[in-house]
Parts: sequence; C-alpha cells; structure tokens
Amino acid sequence: MSQDIEGNLWPFYVVADESGSMYAYMDELNEGLGSLRRALLAQPLTAAKIRFTLIGFSDDAIVRSHLVDMREAAELTPLESRIGTCYQAAFNLLRELIPADVETLKARRYAVYRPTVFFLSDGEPNDALDWPNTHRQLVDRTVHRAAPNIIACGIGDVRADVIRQVATQPQYAFVTVPGVDIGQAITEFCTALTKSVVASVQTFGTGADSLIVEPPAGFRVTLDEV
Amino acid sequence: MDPRRPAADSAADRWAPVVVGRPVAEFAPAPPGPWLHHTDVLGGYRPDTVCDGWSTGALTVRLASVRGYSHRYERTPRQDDAVVVAHPPTGAVAFAVADGVSGAAQSHLGATLACQLAVAGVLDALDDGRPIDWPTLFAGTGHQLVAYAQDLLGLSAPEPAQAIALLATALVAGVVHPPGQLGDGATAALARIGDSGGWLLGAGTFHDAFGADGDAAAAEPVRTSAVLALPSAAADVAPAVRDFPVPPDAVLLVGTDGFGVPLGKGSGLVGHLFAGTLARRPTALELAHTLDFSRETFDDDRTLLAIWPDPEPR
Repeated sequence: MSQDIEGNLWPFYVVADESGSMYAYMDELNEGLGSLRRALLAQPLTAAKIRFTLIGFSDDAIVRSHLVDMREAAELTPLESRIGTCYQAAFNLLRELIPADVETLKARRYAVYRPTVFFLSDGEPNDALDWPNTHRQLVDRTVHRAAPNIIACGIGDVRADVIRQVATQPQYAFVTVPGVDIGQAITEFCTALTKSVVASVQTFGTGADSLIVEPPAGFRVTLDEV
Repeated sequence: MDPRRPAADSAADRWAPVVVGRPVAEFAPAPPGPWLHHTDVLGGYRPDTVCDGWSTGALTVRLASVRGYSHRYERTPRQDDAVVVAHPPTGAVAFAVADGVSGAAQSHLGATLACQLAVAGVLDALDDGRPIDWPTLFAGTGHQLVAYAQDLLGLSAPEPAQAIALLATALVAGVVHPPGQLGDGATAALARIGDSGGWLLGAGTFHDAFGADGDAAAAEPVRTSAVLALPSAAADVAPAVRDFPVPPDAVLLVGTDGFGVPLGKGSGLVGHLFAGTLARRPTALELAHTLDFSRETFDDDRTLLAIWPDPEPR
C-alpha cells in the first residue's frame, strides 16, 4: 500500500532563452507566461496540482520563480534579456534543481509526478561542445530517477538538430516554420504551453499516458533523417 | 448544534462535504457532457452518486460510488461503477468494482459492463457449486468488452485495440462467503487487474489485501499513472488473486484508487476518517457522504464497498 500523502503534484519548469536576440520579444514572452497564470487561476482544481518554476538563461541561468503555486502567486518574476546563450548553464541548473525539488516535495509528503520541462530558445548555443554531456546526465533516469521529460521549442535561427537533441522524445521537438513572425511564435508557444499543462494535469492519475504535448501553431515537429 | 446558528444552516452544514486537510475549491458541479447518448441496455443516464446497503442476515453490505470533483468540474461522467448482489442459495455476496480509464472514450460504459459481466460469472460459478476460475473469468470479461465495442462501433470483426481505446477499465471482483460455508468464519476471494484495491479494516488498522503489488508501486521514485486494464492488449495478463478469512471484528473493503490513493497506508487523516465511520456501520447515505470528502488534489471518482460479517447471523 502506498504512503499516506498530502496530495499529488506535478512540477513544471519553463526554461527560456534570455539572450540579447530575445530582447525584442521579452514582452510577448512575459505576457504569455502571465496568460498561463491567468488560465490556471480559472482552473483551480488543475492549478492545485501544479508547482511552476521559471528559469531564464543566457551566460548563466537564473531561477525567476520557484515551485510556485499559481493560485497564490501575485505575478511571476519577469524574464529579462541579457548576453549569451549557454545551454550548459541551463542544464546544469536543472540537473541540480530538479532532484532537490522532488525530494523537497516528497519530504512534504506529496506524491510527485515526473517533472516536465518546456525549453525555449531562439539561437545557437555558444557552448556547443559542452552542453550535450550535461544534458545527457539531466535526462538519464539511471543517474537520477526523477529525470524530467523535456519539450523543446526553437524559434528563428535555431538549428532543428539542436532542438531535437534537447527534447527527450522526437515528438517533443518543435521549430518554427520559415518566415513565421517570431513574436507571434512566442505567443503560440505560450498558448501551447498552457494547453499542454492543463490537458496533462487533467489526466492526472487516470490511467492515461499523462503528458500531453500540444503542438504550437506556426511550429513543425523536427524530423530525424535516416 | 451551535444555538447561535439558525436551524436552516445546521441542515446545510450537516450535508456539506467532509473536509480533510485543505479542501477542493468550491464550485457547482456541472452535468456530464452531451456525449452520453446511449439507448442500449446500459442506458444513457449516469447519476453523480449511487449508494446501496442491505444485510443477508450473515453479511452486511454498504456501497457508495461518487463522481470525482475533477469530473464534476470538467463535465465528465462518473467513470467508476460497482455491482454487489446476494446469492441466496449459498448466502454469499458477489461483487465487482471498476474504474474506467479516463483515456478511453466511453470508459464509464466499460466499467459498468465489466462489473455486470464479472458478477454474472461469479454467480454462475456459485450456482454450479464450482470454484471460481478467476483468470478465465477475467479473460471472458475482456473478450465480451471487445465484442461489445465491436457492436457499439459497428465493426465487422473484433478489434481489441479499438475496444481498449473505447472501454478500458480497471476491475476488481470477488465473493464473500458467510461463516459456516467454507469454514468457521467468513472468507473472501478477490481478483483484480489494475489499481483498484481491497483492504481488511480491523481494530482501526487497514491491511492491504494486495500488499505486495501496492508496495512495488510505492517504491517508484516518481508516481506513474499507468494502469493495467481490461480489455488488455496482452493475451497473458492474468488477475492477481487473493483468498483470505474475514475476521468477525473486521470489515472487507473494496475500492477504486480514488479511495485507495488518499487512504495510503490508512494511518493518515483519510484513514482516521474511514476507520471512525466504518466502525459504526454507517448507512449507505452516510458512507456516500463520507466518501465524497473534500481534500485538495484528490479529485478522482471514488467507489467503496464494505462487507461486514454479522456478529449474530439471523
């Protein structure tokens, strides 16, 4: 028989590129994350099961909001554009943060579902040789048993093969179609993020495969060549 | 009663949800969505709550099945169901409890059908005076779910994959024999596929009838919601089967995970609530009211069947 638990929680992480090239789109991104919060406020049963963490990365990674209960948060701390695109910094932070967060929640006697990361980037990482090894450790369930699922979305100039490498399943990797408006793409990313979170949490403990990923409009699934 | 409060409030308070810890957000339950257009034998009406209660003279039965808060919010029908019937020739009580898998489009029908088929199989065995072959009974139930789906979908041949997508359900079925039939005391047999469960509650302590299975699930580092179900894609999925005595001072409980997950080991707030309620053999309505407790993030459908050996059989 399972332990006596206080509740069921699903940690979600949004990891967003704060590099200089994102400067023009920060308002769309912060507004989109605000709409996620408002959508969850309108879904109190769903919101109760979510703890939300927002991380921005450039040359380093910063936790902007941590394990937030959206019903109680006034506003999310906004993302800010900075310099650099260091994937290694983002994955290093996640590698430390996620196992610690899971243990914290379990210590509070919550049943914790596998964490889910939504990753958004608009450009090439400037640490192309360094990040893959850290990423492998992050997603390796033999390294830490609560390794996350990662949904990766690339916008603008990002290379499809890089995004495919970040995502933990081929069907979790999306890049914008050529010529799409970047600001609109970011808005669509946030819309898909909201739909995915709500739909997934509504299947919580129902016997269905719970992680539902809503493809963002204006994006395509990256396909592997064989 | 608090004399400072008007009488009208006390009636409302009496039937307000029992709050355990932090409650679910308050809202008015929505009716199930418009996809319940069935005119076949299972009917299209799906009440929010059902309850039942009676005694054979040797065994006392209480049953409740309540729609989860999430389904009330999302306009979804109660996907749990249960059947419990007496078998007068043997004095036994046959039952089944099912939890439709939400990912299946009409899993509430799957749950209802699985319960009816499983209990029919148990009654047939009791009529014939033969032991219950649980693997065959569950396999037969699975096959009939596939046949039902074929009929419902108008398919020319059985399609197990489509039946799973339409009707998948967890199922626990069983029988309780009264004292004197198979031994001095009451005895129970339980069989299950999926994550519905069974417990013996005695002296305020819950004992998991499927303990080994449950412990394996608890050891998972993160929770998984994947469950086995009927019909199954794999031909060799057999039910877990348990046979055990029901002591005279104990009550057999059979329930879906909507009850089992918040119960946990039974030593927390939910366990205390039910140990207290079941100790006084509640009415069917009281059991339903208690089962509808409000506890944040526990918003699945809940079904609970309780069977007591009567201390002085009639």
